[in-house]
Amino acid sequence: MASTACFIIVSRNDIPIYEAEVSSTLKKEEAAHEHQFILHAALDIVQDLAWTTSAMFLKAMDRFNDLTVSVYVTAGHTRLMLLHDSRNEDGIKSFFQEVHELYIKILLNPLYIPGSRITSSYFDTKVRGLARKYL
Amino acid sequence: MEDYAEELRTPPVSLICLVGYPELHPTISGFLHSEQPPINVLALPEFSKISHLAGKQKGNLDSGNPGGILKRDWLIKHRTRVPSVVAALFGLDHVSGDPAQWLQVCTDLENLKSVIRGRNIKLVVVLVQSTFKDDVSEDRMIALRKRAEIDSKYLVVFAQNDTSELSQSLNRLASIFAELSNTYYREEGRRIKARLEKKSFSSAELNIRCCFKVAVYAEFRRDWVEALRFYEEAYHALHEMIALSTRLPPIQRLVEMKAVAEQLHFKVSTLLLHGGKVIEAITWFRQHISSYKRLVGAPEVVFLHWEWISKQFLVFAELLETSSATIPSTASLGSERPFTEWEFQPAYYYQLAAHYLREKRYSLDLSLSTSETSRQMEGATTIESPESVIPSVYVGQFARLLDQDFALAMQPLTDGEYVLYALAEGKRFQDSYEIIALFRKSFESYNNLKAQRMASYCSNQMAREYFAAGDFNNAKQLFDSIAGLYRQEGWVTLLWEILGYLRECSRNLGSPRDFIEYSLEMAALPILSTAGVEPSNVKEYGPAGPARHSQRENIQKEVFGLLKGQSTLMSKEGDCSLTVGEDQPLRLEIDPVSPLRVVFLGSVAFHDQTVKPGGSTLLTLSLLSQLPLPVEIDQLEIQFNQSNCNFTIKKSPELPLTESSTGEQACHVKTVPILTLEANKWLRLTFDIKSGQSGKLECLSVIASMGHHFTICCRVESPASMEDMPLWKFEDRVESFPTKDPALAFSGQKVIQVEEPEPQVDLILHTSGPALVGENFVVPVTITSKGHAVHSGELKINLVDTRGAGFLSPRETEPFSSDSLHVELVGISGSSEEHELQTGSENIKKIQASFGLLSVPFLEIGESWSGKLEIRWHRPKPIMLYVSLGYLPNSKETTAQKVHVHKSLQIEGKTPVVITHRFMTPFRRDPLLLSKIKPAPDSDPSLSLAFNETSILIVSARNCTEVPLRLISISIEVDRDEIGLSCTVRQSNEISTDLTLLVPGEEFKRVFSVTPEVASPKLSVGTVCLRWTRDSELGQPPHSGESELVTGVVTRHKLPNVNAEKAPLVSILECPPHAILGVPFSFHVRIRNQTQLLQEIKYSLEDSQSFLSSGPHNDAAFILPHSEHILGYKLVPLASGQQQLPRISVTSVRYSTGLHPSLAACTVFVFPSQPHFKTNGGVEEPKPICTE
Repeated sequence: MASTACFIIVSRNDIPIYEAEVSSTLKKEEAAHEHQFILHAALDIVQDLAWTTSAMFLKAMDRFNDLTVSVYVTAGHTRLMLLHDSRNEDGIKSFFQEVHELYIKILLNPLYIPGSRITSSYFDTKVRGLARKYL
Repeated sequence: MEDYAEELRTPPVSLICLVGYPELHPTISGFLHSEQPPINVLALPEFSKISHLAGKQKGNLDSGNPGGILKRDWLIKHRTRVPSVVAALFGLDHVSGDPAQWLQVCTDLENLKSVIRGRNIKLVVVLVQSTFKDDVSEDRMIALRKRAEIDSKYLVVFAQNDTSELSQSLNRLASIFAELSNTYYREEGRRIKARLEKKSFSSAELNIRCCFKVAVYAEFRRDWVEALRFYEEAYHALHEMIALSTRLPPIQRLVEMKAVAEQLHFKVSTLLLHGGKVIEAITWFRQHISSYKRLVGAPEVVFLHWEWISKQFLVFAELLETSSATIPSTASLGSERPFTEWEFQPAYYYQLAAHYLREKRYSLDLSLSTSETSRQMEGATTIESPESVIPSVYVGQFARLLDQDFALAMQPLTDGEYVLYALAEGKRFQDSYEIIALFRKSFESYNNLKAQRMASYCSNQMAREYFAAGDFNNAKQLFDSIAGLYRQEGWVTLLWEILGYLRECSRNLGSPRDFIEYSLEMAALPILSTAGVEPSNVKEYGPAGPARHSQRENIQKEVFGLLKGQSTLMSKEGDCSLTVGEDQPLRLEIDPVSPLRVVFLGSVAFHDQTVKPGGSTLLTLSLLSQLPLPVEIDQLEIQFNQSNCNFTIKKSPELPLTESSTGEQACHVKTVPILTLEANKWLRLTFDIKSGQSGKLECLSVIASMGHHFTICCRVESPASMEDMPLWKFEDRVESFPTKDPALAFSGQKVIQVEEPEPQVDLILHTSGPALVGENFVVPVTITSKGHAVHSGELKINLVDTRGAGFLSPRETEPFSSDSLHVELVGISGSSEEHELQTGSENIKKIQASFGLLSVPFLEIGESWSGKLEIRWHRPKPIMLYVSLGYLPNSKETTAQKVHVHKSLQIEGKTPVVITHRFMTPFRRDPLLLSKIKPAPDSDPSLSLAFNETSILIVSARNCTEVPLRLISISIEVDRDEIGLSCTVRQSNEISTDLTLLVPGEEFKRVFSVTPEVASPKLSVGTVCLRWTRDSELGQPPHSGESELVTGVVTRHKLPNVNAEKAPLVSILECPPHAILGVPFSFHVRIRNQTQLLQEIKYSLEDSQSFLSSGPHNDAAFILPHSEHILGYKLVPLASGQQQLPRISVTSVRYSTGLHPSLAACTVFVFPSQPHFKTNGGVEEPKPICTE
């Protein structure tokens, strides 16, 4: 179980559409926003790297101290970004894959406009559940 | 990296020592320096100085515990003081000289040997040849060698007689030195290595020290691989030692270990990077950091740990930056990707160095505050000032310098003392600037890498550091630049954070405008989370506070409190306060790109697209705000580009008490029941407004006043072209249209076209059917005023090609000639009396080929004016005539707009007459024209005329128009510019003076006789000139002078050139014009030979049923040159009426062609009896007439 993890979905036009702190214990010295700053900065690398590989799962893209950024790029160039300090790569991969499935279900909703914020509470609950399960 | 000593940073260079013969030292040392690899030289001028080389009495290494791991000066000692080779320089003359000198040499050598013996330093004896003839005996040499106990090759004679010898000697010396020093360092290394292998040392410290020494010796020999191996071994040994050593108090022990580890790590990294092993170096660094990161140490000196870590990052960044090793491309790293892209960039390490330095500052501040509080609690316990603490002889150790009995002594420190010392040292440094500098470096290199987001992350950290340091100007500038990126990418939470800082910056800078702008933007951010925040976590957030809906409300309340003057804001220092009051009214400008658009958005839509001047139209003003709480607006002012349309909106219960202005303005005040903006809800207000002047009426801005001193000026947008709100676009919210009518929301514009006033003047163009080419066609123009007086009227006339071939503008027809213009405007005139009156200067009258300008005199209501336009066509062509009248309805308002009346008329241009012509030979006279027999391929045989023979030309003119025309005259003008008079043209009958009427479709013919007088293949006959006039114009009074009537309109028709040639034979048929039944008459064929040759002809006569003939029937004849041959026949007509004469055919043998008279020529009318013609003058013989 990771002690820190921040999960964000970034739409293809670089706007965050879902964010969740999925840490088990909130570290006092790290402000919650700090994670978002790090994830935002990591977008630069994703941008370069996403086109060099056909893999969707880009593990350990960026490091900041102990924290690692792993990214999962969907075919529509939506990026699922996870900031974590655990080394459980398989868990992260499964987490991404399941969240991707959830995200596709969201996309299938005709009332959801692609690129807009995901406000579904079902999605939120599910993601947090997956985080507990895999991270 | 500059913190490290020089000897650590640069690779070591072997050192040798020169003793004696000082005048040669500069030459030798200079040469050795420039060698590859270079050799450093320790020069001792005299043998008495050799005691410098003597080592100190060595303490037994193995005895007891060493004082530390590495001696601070060991490396520099070996680089500058302990030579690997000593070269004793003696003059050759001294060696070969008298016994006293020899003895001196021996003594010096002995002394030297005794000094260097303990250190294994190699010895070289150099005999310097000072003169050419110096020589030394073999015995002396051997004796010297034995005394020095050296190999014979290390006894060198240094010859310097000429340059080649000198360089040879120097080269030999250098190679000997290099060899010996290499041997020396290898032996030293081997000696220590042997001890390592035997493990013959008592402590781990010694183990490390030995490894270090072996590595350094290897470096001296440039054996990088071994050096690296032993540095790494030392490093690992040190790492194993961490838990074991108890030599020093715990804090200092850790400090020492870290210092040594740092040094070893530095060496390893340098060597790795030098060898181009970037990946290994980065892996090594990562291990280094991960193994030492947890060794935080005692809580009082945590800051030392962070400082150390930060230094590791900084040094590695600098090493990476200066190393020339190429960074492997990401693709070559394969799929495993052990490193991220940034880990190859110095920027990454700079950034982390700054991060840890900040960490250090936090812990230092914490330590300082606790130590101060503890000191206060303990009271002022006397602790000696830490100034006397200096670094001790071992790396990473500190000691106090004691002044005891005039001798300096080192005393070890206790941990407590050390902590005090470290705190005092820590206080001396300004970490902030260091941190900012590091972030800036990182920022710049990320920017160069085009990693904009990483760069803004660094810039954000930099700005926070400035903020913490109290430099709000710099902080604000940086934050502003980052906020742009976050705004653009829609990272709302981050933007919230940054705006929070910006708000504080402007509060501290005393800038109420910025403070209010940032606060309003924050309050309008799409942060909808309503989760409560436990107060314990508040500290985690920046000055913005947690990003919650409630916080937005708080901010809005705070700002509006300030705006309404209910509260003032004090900056943190309290030296300046923010107020918005009478003396500092505040006005915010919001345009479509401003980030404050979410705070206040105004859109205006006119319900119509056009409006009559002075008419009224509906206008919907829609306002939207995303502020969380409802906003009360006191007054709205709507501004247009026509300022007299501006109006003000107030809430209805409030009477305009403050409105003390004149009634004219008061009438523009409108009232509405509600002026409150709810969050995310359009406030729609619809008004009826009166349009102003004609032209464009555009709504520019809405100014909302809230409180007495605060206004927001918002540039309004059209609903049709309005963009979505940047940050709210993707939020989950109810979207509504700015206007109730959805159609208007998609098409509404903030601009309306106010039409021109309706003209009340008639402009009439008359036309009398199509125009004829060549004539001056008159188009009368009449202006009749019905409701407007015409002031300074102006008539513009334009001729335009209807087929769109282009405006017949004067520009197009710049090479101005009437031929190139198809249609031309030749004259404009007003009615005659006006024309006379207004010949003055004010009468504007400009005519160009297709454009005319005419000023119209002042007309009262009901008056009318007429003018005429004269247009001439050069080609048949339809054109469009555009006439526009511009006038002012009244003379008083000079600024008033002109009223325009437009009229257009299409006029056809037609050809009036078509002229055709035809050449004929005279009746019954046929010249033989050779060109008719053998026509040239491109010539028209019908255009051949016989030279000196009269031909007949029939010109016919046909009226193609729909109006009757009168012909004035028809004549042929012979071109005078041809070569003389080439032919005579005579009119067959006299010129008729009366004017022939030519009704439409009728044809008029005239006969001319043409006699070519020159034989020429291109004979110009002339041009037919036809003068005509319209039948209708004859009766009318002449409008443009008498000449028009007399001359009429001339239509010209150029006759084609004819081929005039000599006819060799002419056959003339002679026959009476008529015959009488039964009465015989004679019939001749006269054949004239016009050549100078004898011509043979054959002829035959066919019998005819109608005639009885006598004469030669079938024969041949010869005709002499220039003579005639006559064939005579007698005929008796047998039938009356039109009868065919017996057909005679004459053939010229020479030209093998026949002369066949035409059918008409061979016909004669036979009267049944003698006819009687009664005329005035009596009987007149009918003449042969040319009829066709």
